[in-house]
Amino acid sequence: MNETDRRTFMKQSAGAMAAVALLPELGLARPVRLREPVVVGVIGAGRQGRAILGELQKMEGVSIGAICDIDERRLDAGVRRSQGAEGFADYRAMLDKRADVKALVIATPTHLHRDIALAALAAGRHVYCETPLAHTVEDCQAIARAARGSSGVFHSGLQGRSNPVYKLAWTFFRSEAVRDPVAMRAQSNRKNSWRTPAPDPARDREFNWRLDPAVSLGLAGEQGTQQFDVFHWYLGAYPVRARGGGSIRLHADGREVYDTVHCGLDFESGVHLHYEATLASTYGGEYEVLHGTNASMWLAWTHGWMFKESDAPTQGWEVYANRQRFHNDQGITLIAEATKLAEQGKLQEGIGLPNAPLYYALGDFLRSVSESAPVVCGADEGARASIVGIMANRAVVTGGTVEIDPAILRGG
Amino acid sequence: MGTRFEVVLWGGDAPRLRACAEAALERVAELERRYSRFRPDSVLSFLNAHAGERAVGIDGDTFELLAACARVWRESGGAFDPTVGPLMRAWGFHGEPGDVAAAAACVGMDGVLLDRAARTVRFTRPGASLDLGGIAKGQALDEAAAIVRDAGVPCGLLHGGTSTVVAIGSPPGESAWVVEVRGSPFRVALHDRAMSVSEPSGRVVEREGRRLGHVLDPRTGSPVEGARLACVVGVSAMETDAWSTALLVLGARPKGMPEQLTTLLPQQGGVWSVEGPESRLFWRSDADDRAGQESP
Repeated sequence: MNETDRRTFMKQSAGAMAAVALLPELGLARPVRLREPVVVGVIGAGRQGRAILGELQKMEGVSIGAICDIDERRLDAGVRRSQGAEGFADYRAMLDKRADVKALVIATPTHLHRDIALAALAAGRHVYCETPLAHTVEDCQAIARAARGSSGVFHSGLQGRSNPVYKLAWTFFRSEAVRDPVAMRAQSNRKNSWRTPAPDPARDREFNWRLDPAVSLGLAGEQGTQQFDVFHWYLGAYPVRARGGGSIRLHADGREVYDTVHCGLDFESGVHLHYEATLASTYGGEYEVLHGTNASMWLAWTHGWMFKESDAPTQGWEVYANRQRFHNDQGITLIAEATKLAEQGKLQEGIGLPNAPLYYALGDFLRSVSESAPVVCGADEGARASIVGIMANRAVVTGGTVEIDPAILRGG
Repeated sequence: MGTRFEVVLWGGDAPRLRACAEAALERVAELERRYSRFRPDSVLSFLNAHAGERAVGIDGDTFELLAACARVWRESGGAFDPTVGPLMRAWGFHGEPGDVAAAAACVGMDGVLLDRAARTVRFTRPGASLDLGGIAKGQALDEAAAIVRDAGVPCGLLHGGTSTVVAIGSPPGESAWVVEVRGSPFRVALHDRAMSVSEPSGRVVEREGRRLGHVLDPRTGSPVEGARLACVVGVSAMETDAWSTALLVLGARPKGMPEQLTTLLPQQGGVWSVEGPESRLFWRSDADDRAGQESP
């Protein structure tokens, strides 16, 4: 953003803030009500597929026409939950038979995305693909190429870009409120084995693909891709170098994929992102932090806070803002729809998002399909973030440094 | 639900058992997210926000859960009623008290229209809302147990808040899991069975000099005095969970109660009644053997 743009933005923002006396009302967290109905198909009815089905069912103008999964039990459960949905064991049969299913959501294991995405695009369908888009650079580029050649919508499931809290934080980042980035860090901490009980031990590898080094992107790729992209989006830049390492701290059950990783991403500007992820501790959960010279932002998917420096200019509105104390710091809560909540007297109790971040990402996709709204996160953004995830995992696995050639991010 | 769930499994290799337990608990967490009235992003919050305005389409599992609510409400003569929330609030159990008569007008599962063909739900009474706290824990345990069974684990015990428990198989060398019913002198032997216990708990309020417990009779709109404990054993934890709530209000088995459920209820004078087809599963822990039960 150049200085003129920044001043214009500040002027507009300040006006909005003064008018509402709290945080700006941006209509960011509005419910999904499609003007033109859309029939959706979901490919992959595992954990993520179930979550997707749950969110789609909250939306108006959306019907689930078909569900596809190679596992019979998961497919049955998905069909049972979804009124009128037809079940398929093979996505090709689904594409052939259900021409009315215009929009497809791909929620299979990462290494299976490419073939499905290419077939769906070739069949003229709109596609929402979970990220990482693929487990190899070549596959990411192939998906991006196919999407560019398609007239349909391709939406990469990088949820931060659709998240109302993150959008609100982004408006602050673009203003003087944060100013110049100093440092960045993120983490994804949980305590579980990353294993899925297969119905038959012979199918263990199929169900536990995340623990298969041949196809898994590990924690840095599978978890990190979503989180790295928040910084890509905010900075408008991608890292040029990844360093990393990892170990098995808890789940010494014969696995090769690390249960604890760390990596660093260097950006051309000199700013650095430090990332940690583990399956051995829940402490802190999942969040991203961006330190700026005027303020720092802590983003935790359903919640967000801003911590102002004492010498940062006062903007007026923050006097009235909702705050939370964190040890020696005081965070201003970043609340989407703050004005509406304040009017309803729910500001104190409603400081989280009214829906899961996934809801907003799917909503953005379906608005693009139904109402030709601009695509919020296309195939190129998805491919670039996925490639960064792949490189970060490569650094973790090798314990070394991996240069990220900007040419591979530009696509094939 | 907002309570602690625990899973104990036996059989097979440890990593696989851990994965099973994680999948089971993950399912519980998923259902918690779905049916919590405290989460703004839950399906229940969505229903409570919109079903008063229009028929809201819901997923099949939620529909079946609500259908089960309606069934137990009907069979219990209204003693189990997931629409009782406004009355609980009005009596001051969830904060400041309000207008009880106005709240009573919102209550009644007959004001929740379930359309199976369209798979929708609609509230016909203004101000109505659902609270699935009396049944969702049981449903979550049923689903968690199904995940464990599907994975081929032969033996396990799952509980939610120690008030509802599901036994899978029995421990090695034993014929059943033995569970103590706290608040009673009884133990129960569970093998592929679920059990729920309800007791008065939570906040006590004072009205007109009377201390009133947390158990509210949805039929009268007033707190129940003298409620002590209700224990139900059956195949489905969803059913035992809902019925233990109903029996705490009723104090005795109603005619409409499904025959396959077995109940343990306190009577006057320190006597306990055990009724149902599996009353042999209960025995007094202070007796030498299982012959000590009082009124099978």
